[in-house]
Amino acid sequence: MNELLPAYAAGSLAAEDRDRVRAHLHDCARCRADLAAWQAIATAVTPQVPAPDPARLVRAALTRSAIDGPRVDRRTHSRVRHLGALVVAEARLIRLAVPVASALVMALGVTLVLVQAATVGRLPGAAGGSGGAANLVLALIAPIVAAAGVAGTYRSRRDPAAELVAATPTSGRLLLLVRIALVFGYDLALAVAASAVLTAADAGGTASLYTLVGAWLGPMALLSSLSLLIAVRFGPDAALGAAVGLWAVRVLAGGVLARDAQPARAIVEAWSTSAPVLAASAAAVVVAVVLAGRGEPDGGWRATHPV
Amino acid sequence: MAQRPEPGSDDELLRSVAAGDAAALAGLYERHAGGLFGYLLRLAGDRMTAEEILQDTMLAVWRSAAAFEGRAKVTTWLFGIARRQAHNRLRGRPGPEPVGTDLPDRADHRPGPEDLAIAAAGGTPVAAAIDRLPDHHRDVIALVFVAGLPLADVAEVLAIPVGTVKSRLYHARAAVAAALVAQQVREVSE
Repeated sequence: MNELLPAYAAGSLAAEDRDRVRAHLHDCARCRADLAAWQAIATAVTPQVPAPDPARLVRAALTRSAIDGPRVDRRTHSRVRHLGALVVAEARLIRLAVPVASALVMALGVTLVLVQAATVGRLPGAAGGSGGAANLVLALIAPIVAAAGVAGTYRSRRDPAAELVAATPTSGRLLLLVRIALVFGYDLALAVAASAVLTAADAGGTASLYTLVGAWLGPMALLSSLSLLIAVRFGPDAALGAAVGLWAVRVLAGGVLARDAQPARAIVEAWSTSAPVLAASAAAVVVAVVLAGRGEPDGGWRATHPV
Repeated sequence: MAQRPEPGSDDELLRSVAAGDAAALAGLYERHAGGLFGYLLRLAGDRMTAEEILQDTMLAVWRSAAAFEGRAKVTTWLFGIARRQAHNRLRGRPGPEPVGTDLPDRADHRPGPEDLAIAAAGGTPVAAAIDRLPDHHRDVIALVFVAGLPLADVAEVLAIPVGTVKSRLYHARAAVAAALVAQQVREVSE
């Protein structure tokens, strides 16, 4: 009975309980005293000022709603802005040496082709058929440049912000995606620019821009995605080593080893621009991003000490 | 929900609000204005802030009426929103001063902080003592006595068991009684 007294004083009891309490209070002095204490509180907290006028308050709320605009729009807008800010922030975190080195290597390749074209004239079908020197050099340089760049994107020990990135509330997968998009996009643009320069200078022989891009795009995508996958699983150093090793095998198979032998031909075939190669690259990226959410690379450096 | 709400009920009004009916929002407000405003006044301590939070609350109701699934009562949903808005606005504000820690060592006939607090709280020492309760006690007192919600609904708004609501009520009452006794002792010793 005692338990019902606060609600009785507040007037929030159901009719049936209220009648029961009332009957009990009639005979019980202790409960009457108890009730008086609750009633003192109830009286003390009763507001002395009336609630604001409905018309005015509701109008004010609706005006604010109209000024702020629909919430959904604002959210998508801020999401786009957030992503933009993320890209800018990540771009600032990429060490200057990476894009500069990539650009230098690519420029060296282009210069080599141009010089050779100027001195020798046109190389008679140097390697891989009709493309000539331009095809060969770009196809050899572009993939390894991109793969080396991508290898360093995932929690490299040399990344000055690695510790901060590991502790940030933004998903590690999203940060990884933004970063590889930046690095790979940059290398892609670099390779396209190199191809365009060579096509414009007519150093590619008969090769058009389209065939030039075809010479490096597939291998670049495959080697970069494999490099990323290994970086996520085993760390950046293993990734760089593996990328160089894989690419060395490809180079040997295409040049030094007998090109007509079965294994060599299969290897060269595997490093070309074709639908299966591009699909395999995409699959490797997906696996890498999924793996990236699960802890840190084996034997790798950790942002926090294991507990 | 399969069953249609009764015409004229809170559920019906809220459904109209979700459909963009501003008059329904005014109707819903009129029904609960007294309880909501009194509750927020207790939490905020002053009229201006309480009115601002009430505005925030009605704005939130207007925007999220469509998200109401009918699993809770409309009243508990409303007071839950009001409570969240109050937390958003009052966050970071210093809490009430603990009661009875500063015993004056000499008589002072000017109005002391105690008297000013009593005046601000609406004139009674009981109201002043309630204003100085910790937040979670004041919250329960306001929901039970100002908003007039049944204890079960109070428990739902605060997401705590009914038993905890009851024990907080008793603790709050004991604290108020202790504060009143401490104040009387001070008045006698002056």
